[in-house]
Amino acid sequence: MLLVLSAEHRAHLGCLPRAGGAAIGELGRLALEQLRRGAAPRALETAARKLNIGVDTIQHGVEGLVYLLTESSKLMASIPFCKISEVDFQDSIHVLGFSDELNKSLLQLYLDNRKEIRSILGELAPRLPSYHSLEWRLDVQLASRSLRQQIKPAVTMKLHLNQNEDQTAQVLQTDPATLLHLIQQLEQALGEMKMNHCRRIVRNMK
Amino acid sequence: QRFRFCGDLDCPDWVLAEISTLAKISSVKLKLICAQVLRDLLGEAIEYDKVLKLTSDAKLESGDVKATIAVLGFILSSAAKHNVDSESLSSELQQLGLPKAEHASGLCRSYEEKQSSLQDRLRACSLRLSQLGSVRWRVDYTLSSSELQEVNEPVVHLTFNVRDRDEKMTAVPVTLSANKFRVLLAGEAPGGVAAGTSV
Repeated sequence: MLLVLSAEHRAHLGCLPRAGGAAIGELGRLALEQLRRGAAPRALETAARKLNIGVDTIQHGVEGLVYLLTESSKLMASIPFCKISEVDFQDSIHVLGFSDELNKSLLQLYLDNRKEIRSILGELAPRLPSYHSLEWRLDVQLASRSLRQQIKPAVTMKLHLNQNEDQTAQVLQTDPATLLHLIQQLEQALGEMKMNHCRRIVRNMK
Repeated sequence: QRFRFCGDLDCPDWVLAEISTLAKISSVKLKLICAQVLRDLLGEAIEYDKVLKLTSDAKLESGDVKATIAVLGFILSSAAKHNVDSESLSSELQQLGLPKAEHASGLCRSYEEKQSSLQDRLRACSLRLSQLGSVRWRVDYTLSSSELQEVNEPVVHLTFNVRDRDEKMTAVPVTLSANKFRVLLAGEAPGGVAAGTSV
């Protein structure tokens, strides 16, 4: 699958041939750091001074590289023993008109860091609150202001949820009959996994 | 096979797997590691370096050390949860493969010493939604107001300090007229008026 680079993107990457071989390594490292930790303006300034290029050009170059790496990692899945993704990458950057050596170093940068970039991208997906823990308590109500001599069992639960490092807790209360019904429904949901339909899909996904 | 210390259920697979790791540690060191795990369960900090030193002889990797702490924590807290006496715990651990002579009996002796404190601690940690911290009160006497020149009525101010699980105190202020306060105390208004009517 070919990557389509916009004119602005191509202009940003256009600074790369002028920067020279050693600079590519430096810019590649900055791009990866930006992916891992976010933009670091001071690092860009130090790199600009070291390579004798304007800060804006460096910034555009690094951002262009970041975009190139994330788009390639996003669209071209890494299938082991399959050279298709490498060829796609090479064809995509061929349009930039860089030298062979530059193309090779860009390809190497992509191949070396593909897995890490994919795992970073995987964490960016939005998440629903997920289960953290469940505390429960079984009580029996013996009497109340309105009625004495009762027997009314109740299960109180505190469901702790985790959402992007936010901890929330929900307090729920039910009688044992409803709880048994709830458990039965959840077991039916789990039982669905063993049906033929689900089994066929899981087999095909593997 | 059902075990009492697992709540009359099967023993979890991971516990079975780690029993053999426990057997690798000498019984004296096992008793000391038990003491550390009991400290952690009772709410004091565990001294992890001491545990590391104790397990260094048995040449356990870091994953195995954590597994040892986890399995000991499970056995001790689960036994306390289901109120298992130390004799039964010892025989059940032997059924799982823990050598009797030193390991099981040492473990059970540590358990027996701390069983009631463990149960007290577990009772305190049980789910509780909120707790009444304290009540403060004040009785005022209203002389007059913008509506009526001579009021001459006592008014009770109560503040309930409620503590929730995160140790946060919330103050709930309540203001009652004298008659309403009498209803609150007695459950029934003077003159037989049903509770719940506005007085």
